[in-house]
Amino acid sequence: MINYLKPILIFIPIILVQLIIVPLISIYEIVPQLILILLVYYTLIGGQIYGMILGFIVGFLFDLFSGGILGSSALAMTVSMFILGYFYNENRIQENTATYSFLVYLLFASIIYSLIYSEVGNFNPDTRLRVILFEGALLPALYTTLFGILVVVFQSKRKFE
Amino acid sequence: MINFTQKILYHFKEYFILLSLVLVSLFFISHSDNPKAKKLKAFALANFAIVEDFTSSIFSIFIKDESIDELRKQNAKLMLELEKSRKAKRENEELRQLLALNDTSKYPLVAANIVSKLANKFQSNFIIDKGYNDGIVKGMPVINSKGLAGIVMDVTKDYSVVKTLYNTSLNIAVNVRRTNVNGILNFNGRNLIIKNIPTTYDVKEGDVVVTSEFSTAFPPFVPIGIIEKKELNMLGLLHTIYVKPFSDVNTSSFLFVIKVVPSKQINDLEMNLIKKP
Repeated sequence: MINYLKPILIFIPIILVQLIIVPLISIYEIVPQLILILLVYYTLIGGQIYGMILGFIVGFLFDLFSGGILGSSALAMTVSMFILGYFYNENRIQENTATYSFLVYLLFASIIYSLIYSEVGNFNPDTRLRVILFEGALLPALYTTLFGILVVVFQSKRKFE
Repeated sequence: MINFTQKILYHFKEYFILLSLVLVSLFFISHSDNPKAKKLKAFALANFAIVEDFTSSIFSIFIKDESIDELRKQNAKLMLELEKSRKAKRENEELRQLLALNDTSKYPLVAANIVSKLANKFQSNFIIDKGYNDGIVKGMPVINSKGLAGIVMDVTKDYSVVKTLYNTSLNIAVNVRRTNVNGILNFNGRNLIIKNIPTTYDVKEGDVVVTSEFSTAFPPFVPIGIIEKKELNMLGLLHTIYVKPFSDVNTSSFLFVIKVVPSKQINDLEMNLIKKP
């Protein structure tokens, strides 16, 4: 339980930043998912089951605090962390989180997350598939990955020290 | 047998955990409108919104100016009155004073700051710092100084959730002001569109789109935007109309809730009709 408590306490201010500051840097309503960056980091450190449970809790909190559809973010984060969990390797934690492979994992997890979240949140049957795939999933994932560079830089500095 | 079950559970535990978490998530998605789920959401929202409000107020502390707020409110009121006057003028011209159906009631406005935004391509929501303590009720329309912004979706004591125009679940009955053509406006993830308008109807690019008198959710004649382009469907019988909104909802930091509930609108309309000889 303590394993989950500390990250959750870290995630709460990140949710605040996501809802208050991140919309200010949106490009055509496309925003980076800061929560996901941290979640990917924790999954690559803690493993598949840990990532899934943490993803569900954080996603649920995000749904509660954002006024969105209850369960949509929880579902998207759980599934994306389940798939990402297959890349967890306890012998390669440092390489996975402090090198550019972290960005590849982040991009992959972001695409899955954004795809599920967009699909669940979309009520219009006329929405074109390419809009969901490109503007709903790929572009937010790329924007999120751009912010993931900060984690890689920070982690590689720590490794160097 | 017990050993076998334990082995299965142990070997496939990640799948069982995934299945249970997905089922719980799906349960919440399907019961999102359940009163108990709404109660839980309202409780979390009310508590978290206080922190959000405090944080966002720190960011706006240097730009906060009461006179600007008052001017914005006046601007929004004038925008609504102007739209009603235009409508009344057109009706007067058409009916040559035989009918006078224009509603002269004024809409009371409640000014609200946006506390936080759920910026998303398909479900755009705002949280505003006015709740049922300020007389806000679910279903009240929300505008900014340029036009319609959305509708109140959930209300707590001091905060409310606003579903914006850029939410795929919001459908609005609209009217093309010049020719009185009615339609349903919604967001398709990229544009605001009105579908299935017959090609025989007189609709031009640049025509102003306002909320319709037939709308049960919004008061009539609230400006929404102008027609940007028309697109023929495959058979060539119907148009899809693309609307460019007047208000850039996503960059707003200040909104107004029109304190009119849908049922009151219908009542007022019925009363107006009864009053006329």
